[in-house]
Amino acid sequence: MYSQQQGQQQSGGVMQDKDMLFTILADLKRTVGEYTTATTEASCPVVRQMFMDLQNHSLRMQGDLYKFMEQNNMYTKPQPALKQLIDKQIQQVQQKHQQTDQFVQQQLHGLGQSMPYQAQMNTTQQHSNSGKNPYYM
Amino acid sequence: MHNMMHHQPLSGKELDYISDSISNEDLLVKQCAVAAHNTPNPAVQQLCNQMLREHQQHIQMLTQSLQHHQSIAPFQIQ
Repeated sequence: MYSQQQGQQQSGGVMQDKDMLFTILADLKRTVGEYTTATTEASCPVVRQMFMDLQNHSLRMQGDLYKFMEQNNMYTKPQPALKQLIDKQIQQVQQKHQQTDQFVQQQLHGLGQSMPYQAQMNTTQQHSNSGKNPYYM
Repeated sequence: MHNMMHHQPLSGKELDYISDSISNEDLLVKQCAVAAHNTPNPAVQQLCNQMLREHQQHIQMLTQSLQHHQSIAPFQIQ
């Protein structure tokens, strides 16, 4: 991610600004991610709320910085996705949705065969029990 | 909002996350200071100074959280 900029660093304040802001933007992104993890791991409600507030605020700052960089031609907008790719995605999602729907119906109402799922569960359990290092030890 | 909730003793994990977060924010404060100091562009300077203050506030929040939990932390694990 840094390599595309390395050749452009020789001179000029604008380039240096761009590089500095890019570094800050990357660190903001990383920090937002860590706040998300911290929130999910927090047990004290006050600490959880604090991490949520910090995550929210950092996200807003990241968005503002990105907007500034884009407006000042320091960040190239990503290329738009082609229509045929979106069409394909929609088709795949619809297919998957049907399969999942069918699965849910089977599980909830016992329609069709629910045994294979049970059998699968049992095999998985046996596997983990017979393993040399079960991870719950 | 925080006052309505009850403080519980910090877990070791929470302490680690708070400590890592302070390091992250500290790094961002320094980066913003360098950027604000070195830029010839007033708009960049203003933005970086603003971000710098906000990251300092984050550090304050995190530090206060440590202080709030200081008094309810056990001396030994029961």
